[in-house]
Amino acid sequence: MGRPGLDRRQLLAALGGLTVAGSFGFAALGTGADALASGADTRVRYWNLFSGGDGYNMIAMLDAFRKDNPGIDVKDSTLQWGSPFYTKLAMAAAGNRAPDLGVMHLGRVTGFSPGRLLDPWDVDLLAKYGVREQDFNPALWKRAVIDGKLYALPLDIHVQLCFYRRDVLKKAGLLDADGRMVPVTSADEWFDVLKEAKGATGKGLQTIGLWVNDQNFQWWFFVAFYTQLGGTWFSADNTEVTFDTDKATQVLEFLRRHVTEGYADPGFAGGAGAEQFVNGGPFVWEGNWSVPVFDSAKLDYGATPLPPVFGRQATHAESHAFVLPHQADRGGAADEGAHRLAAYVVQHARQWAAGGHIPAYTPTLSTAAYRELKPQSEYVSAMDHQATEPKVWFAGSTGILAQRVGPIVVSSTLGSAKPDVVARRMKSTLTQLLASKNPMDGRTAAEGGAVA
Amino acid sequence: MTTASAETVVRPARARTAAATATVRRGQGFQHGGWFVAPFLLLFALFVIWPLLRGLWLSFTDANISGDAAHFVGLDNYREALDDPLMWEALGHSAWFTLLVVPCITVLALLLAMLAHHIERGKWLWRLCFFLPFLLPSTVAANLWQWLFNPGTGMVNHVLGLETAWLTDKSYAMLAVVVCTLWWTVGFSFLLYLAALQGIPAHLYEAAKLDGAGAWHRMLHITLPMLRSITGLVVALQILASLQVFDQAVVMQDFGPGPEESTRTFVQYTLEQGFTSYRVGYASAISIIFFVLIAAVALARMWLLRNREEGGR
Repeated sequence: MGRPGLDRRQLLAALGGLTVAGSFGFAALGTGADALASGADTRVRYWNLFSGGDGYNMIAMLDAFRKDNPGIDVKDSTLQWGSPFYTKLAMAAAGNRAPDLGVMHLGRVTGFSPGRLLDPWDVDLLAKYGVREQDFNPALWKRAVIDGKLYALPLDIHVQLCFYRRDVLKKAGLLDADGRMVPVTSADEWFDVLKEAKGATGKGLQTIGLWVNDQNFQWWFFVAFYTQLGGTWFSADNTEVTFDTDKATQVLEFLRRHVTEGYADPGFAGGAGAEQFVNGGPFVWEGNWSVPVFDSAKLDYGATPLPPVFGRQATHAESHAFVLPHQADRGGAADEGAHRLAAYVVQHARQWAAGGHIPAYTPTLSTAAYRELKPQSEYVSAMDHQATEPKVWFAGSTGILAQRVGPIVVSSTLGSAKPDVVARRMKSTLTQLLASKNPMDGRTAAEGGAVA
Repeated sequence: MTTASAETVVRPARARTAAATATVRRGQGFQHGGWFVAPFLLLFALFVIWPLLRGLWLSFTDANISGDAAHFVGLDNYREALDDPLMWEALGHSAWFTLLVVPCITVLALLLAMLAHHIERGKWLWRLCFFLPFLLPSTVAANLWQWLFNPGTGMVNHVLGLETAWLTDKSYAMLAVVVCTLWWTVGFSFLLYLAALQGIPAHLYEAAKLDGAGAWHRMLHITLPMLRSITGLVVALQILASLQVFDQAVVMQDFGPGPEESTRTFVQYTLEQGFTSYRVGYASAISIIFFVLIAAVALARMWLLRNREEGGR
């Protein structure tokens, strides 16, 4: 193995100076001058991916922190969500120009070279600022632990929900005494509900929007229902694919049925599903981030976790988590400030819940203020039955797994391939991915051993 | 100031043979021109030649995005790429896009140019209309067409009275990208044709008229032959540009690969490999493969043209 000894600069130069310059531009934001101007002693540089309503809520929480901690100057930069964000974060960490604090999707942490591009949290320091392991859902906390160290501090979980219009369901006689959607325990029951709802739906509207053409959403729904069936992905040591094609076929047939029975119209795929819902369509499956959208549209609506059509509760969940991008000389006041800031935001996430997300810090969930939030209180139970992607390096929001398998799921839902064929195709893709090496460290999932 | 004196010596010496003059000029070449092209050469070396060599080197390594030392892996990346069905699919999509766009845009540009050339009143307005979309950034053009193609509320279905799911149906998604591209970039080729049309001497047409040639014959025997070289240029530029299609396809499909991965172009696949999968070495290898393919297309065209020119003499 020759080692050409690529040094950082040359590599980055080869990767296209502009991207790099862009990300360094962000990194360079807020050099000494404005820290001096603000009169603060410590500056914490914080990168996040929150825009829209989430961005607004995050800024409100940061402002509250600034008021309570005048000695710390928070320099926040918002970058575009998705792959570009992770690329910039990786390059900044690689180039040792990383911010003091960052945000990631929890599922992406395993593949992000924890220990190389991410530094572990100091749990004692977090405890000092009031955040301890027992304040979190154990499964969620465990996902953030890699090789025995905590690499991510969960801020929330965000889940896929079944939104429903109370006014339409009421007409169809599908509301219980509390004004919530009648419970559903099987696929047939679910389609009965859709049938009733369809009868009460106005002309030109589809019964349910479920992003039939979207690789991310279809994959998330698949993960949810496959988990309801008790399906697994890989063996515990990540040496074998344990993906069950029969169960997968069941799930794919279930998703496809929405289209074949005329409840979901491929013409209203994608974002049009939410528009239809606002215009009077009875159902839409969306991420909980749609809560503020439907609130501002003044709809009379409710939201439950995806229906347990295969007999047990499970809905897809991902999580926004705070991370410490790698710095060669991590430590000192800025690092302590990052711990303090993250702990503060995690504990003051009531504001964050307004964006529909479920705060990860469980004491928040039992407060009277949170329990009064509608429809949040209706789906808070999702915290206890999260369906998540497997904990391997190629998983996580908009990661390789979703990119490879998502389109295959879509091909079944849209009917261009048969569910059983698609299930086998999924399995062979999973087999390929399991055997492939993580480009970050040259190890396969089995060799990576990124287990708690 | 030796150069200046040399100049004065050369200038009156008209009687000398051309060859001798050329020798003198060649001798002074770099002193004059060299400094003028140096800034360009420097930038070209820095931003084209160097990254190209660097990418070539990376394509033989397992480099990732983290800046760790990469290891030499020989031809592994190339071997994997040639066996990678997704790469071939992406190449197919880019090639298909090119096949659709190039003839359409060439014919359309020519028609629009003739129209603008022959119109007497409000010439400037027509030119502006045809050229204006080209000035838009690709994201604007793509977003605009995303709206127009929206199945429920878009103008395209409204005008045609259809209910086609342009952007979410595998059969139409690439077509939608093609339509957007035609509208957005035809202005450039249109301008080339318009300039060429204005360069055709009027006396040719007059002579043809005297000989009794009708409008159709004049176009067939004067206009089109006179435009042959510009057509070659338009086709060549369009092929090279279309093979590299990326932004409008990506924006119209919200950065996804399109319905059933039908609009994932080659450049998009390279980007995914490099910046989603962090496989910089592999992404470099497929970039080099793509570079070789495009270079081959360009060289083949040059060779064909050279043969035609030589045959024509």
